[in-house]
Amino acid sequence: MKINRLSIGLVAASLPFCNLASATTVEYWTTQTQSDRLQTIEIMADVFEALNPGIDVKVIAVDENDMPKQIAAAAASDTLPDMIEVGSDLSLAFAEEGIVDAKSSTELIQTLGKQRFYAGALKLVESAALNEYVSVPYSGWVQGIWYRADWFKEAGLAPPTTWEAIEAAAKYFYKPSENQYGILIGTKADNYAEQCYTQFALSNDAGQFNKDGELIFNSEAQKEVLDFYTNLAQYNPPGPQSWRARDYYLQGKLAMFFYSSYILDDIALAEAAASSLSSENFKDLKGAAFDPNLAKNTRLATTITNTSPSSFGTLVGFTMMKNDNQEEVKATKAFIQYMNEKDQVVAYSHMAVGGHLPMLRDIAETDEFLNDPKGIFAQYGKQSIKEIVAGFDSIKNFSVVDGKTFPKSGEIFAKQIIPRMIYRAAIENEPTQSVLDWAEKQMQTVIAK
Amino acid sequence: MTPLERAEARFGWKLVAPTIVILGLLILYPLMYNVYLSFFDVQLNGSKTFVGLENYIKLLSNADYYSAIATTSLYLLGTVVGTTLLGLAMALLLRDPFMGRGLVNAAIMLPYVAPVISVVFGWQFLFDPISGVVNYLLVDLLGLWSERSNLIGDPDSALWVVVLFDIWKHAPIAYLLILSKLVSISRDQYEAAAIDGYGPVGRFFHVTLPELYFVLATVVLLRLIWNLNRFEDVYLLAPNVETLPIFTYYQAFTGVIDQGLAAATSVIQLGVLSIFIWFYIKKIMKW
Repeated sequence: MKINRLSIGLVAASLPFCNLASATTVEYWTTQTQSDRLQTIEIMADVFEALNPGIDVKVIAVDENDMPKQIAAAAASDTLPDMIEVGSDLSLAFAEEGIVDAKSSTELIQTLGKQRFYAGALKLVESAALNEYVSVPYSGWVQGIWYRADWFKEAGLAPPTTWEAIEAAAKYFYKPSENQYGILIGTKADNYAEQCYTQFALSNDAGQFNKDGELIFNSEAQKEVLDFYTNLAQYNPPGPQSWRARDYYLQGKLAMFFYSSYILDDIALAEAAASSLSSENFKDLKGAAFDPNLAKNTRLATTITNTSPSSFGTLVGFTMMKNDNQEEVKATKAFIQYMNEKDQVVAYSHMAVGGHLPMLRDIAETDEFLNDPKGIFAQYGKQSIKEIVAGFDSIKNFSVVDGKTFPKSGEIFAKQIIPRMIYRAAIENEPTQSVLDWAEKQMQTVIAK
Repeated sequence: MTPLERAEARFGWKLVAPTIVILGLLILYPLMYNVYLSFFDVQLNGSKTFVGLENYIKLLSNADYYSAIATTSLYLLGTVVGTTLLGLAMALLLRDPFMGRGLVNAAIMLPYVAPVISVVFGWQFLFDPISGVVNYLLVDLLGLWSERSNLIGDPDSALWVVVLFDIWKHAPIAYLLILSKLVSISRDQYEAAAIDGYGPVGRFFHVTLPELYFVLATVVLLRLIWNLNRFEDVYLLAPNVETLPIFTYYQAFTGVIDQGLAAATSVIQLGVLSIFIWFYIKKIMKW
């Protein structure tokens, strides 16, 4: 009798777990590690779960720089997530490693409507080898030089859209004795440095591959870029610098800095700028206060020209990982479809105004998207925001040459060869040619694999 | 061996068998698997291609590897000597009881027990070239430097900042180990030495130092082992200081992971460390 009671009790106690075990779980790794953004995504996932009983969405935040390592560890232990949210370069690199379900992504793009996506965005995730899309484009940002238009006007300098104009302005505003610096470009060996550098390289027609897929990185044009970049770095704040030094711009100590459209709110809103201003955090310290006129006095130059105009941006997509469990694949597809509905796209875009520009054209042009709750887009004008987003029709990076995508470029990106090359040239003062030779050798090793 | 002794020996083996199996699984298996992996090119999807000694050749023909060894040697020398001397000095100063010694001890231990990430951010904030206190003091207030500098970022000074950080953070453990031995040295020995005519310096060299010999050797050995493998302090504070663990990280774990190469690097590191420890224990500590 005792045993029977015990058995019934145990069975009853395990019922809720049985229910849990039978649910299909979608493990979703996001690079949105900030708590407020993570909360927004959690809410969207909760609504999806309520609409789809039997599916659990497990949202896990992973730092973007750690993503390759975490995926490598997960692949090695056979615990890959169902979907990840990463840049197109990494999606291509993972596809090369054979751990991406490109077939499902391609089907999803067909279902959502191929013509709804910006053409350039689709190009960035197309694998020529597989003849499939390795990721579903979801959001993106464009980069450019943000500059103090009021300082430029006062000095009578031209906007920083050409190499000459950029160098002249950087030199003019570089006054270290007054703790003021000309420009901020990446010189620390991280992704930011590569992002800044790529735009200069593409503006000088210095690519990584030619249209036949041969490595042409170590070229005369590339040397010109690295020489120019290294020279420009002398007008940076001292030492190796990364994106975080954008704080100096908000503190009024920089004339120009490279940044993505993510910065829109930091410049315009006092509460967003607070983390960049020491006086806001430490009352007793002598630091800069929020400048309410900074948004008005700031302009963005998205295009840099030397031998040809170049604009640069990054595309983030949902990449489905290889999975034998068809139930999970189905549930993941349903979740990605749900995330591409207008309400979710707009909510996702508004959690980082300017940083998450939608990749579905019809949604990017709606008033729901353009009327962000904090009125940031309005400060810059709806037309200019539409123009910025439309840049995704013709966005470029090292992976795409004459409409062909070379996934090996994604692997080169993941190996951080260009950032390390920049660090050696700009900070360790190694001669540019020897650094280029080094980088070429590293790239050849990646390609040979 | 009598039958009883044999039975006892068998019983002894049975008793330690579970421990041997667990240790074997936890330590020996990963170690051997690592050696095995070092001969392969490993793809993320699990497929392996035998490449023989290629990973080792790739590593040993890389000039940066030798530069990392040089950086590591300087780092080890600076940190081990620094922490040991500072720990010894603090222990000598604070060996006799005085009012508030508990508080002073707590203050000394603070850097050691504080989470590394928080103290690293503190140091980075202090050394920030534009808004940091160090530059503010030296450039704006005292005028000792003519322009601002990035001591943590500049490759010429970064290593020394990292060494200083390590000494500051880890001297407390050296202090604690040395102090525990110091307070147990008998007063009689000092009195005898004083009668023999030794002054404070003589007493230090003829009583204190011989008594501390094994503790100091232990401190040095532990610090060497810890710091040869230390990653987090260096990487968080100044990732451009390429000591061996940081070099391995950049070589093998940046971007798409290269497990074969990573395994080869750690096998070499393990070999070097083992020889090092054997030499130290046999020749210096004479155990």
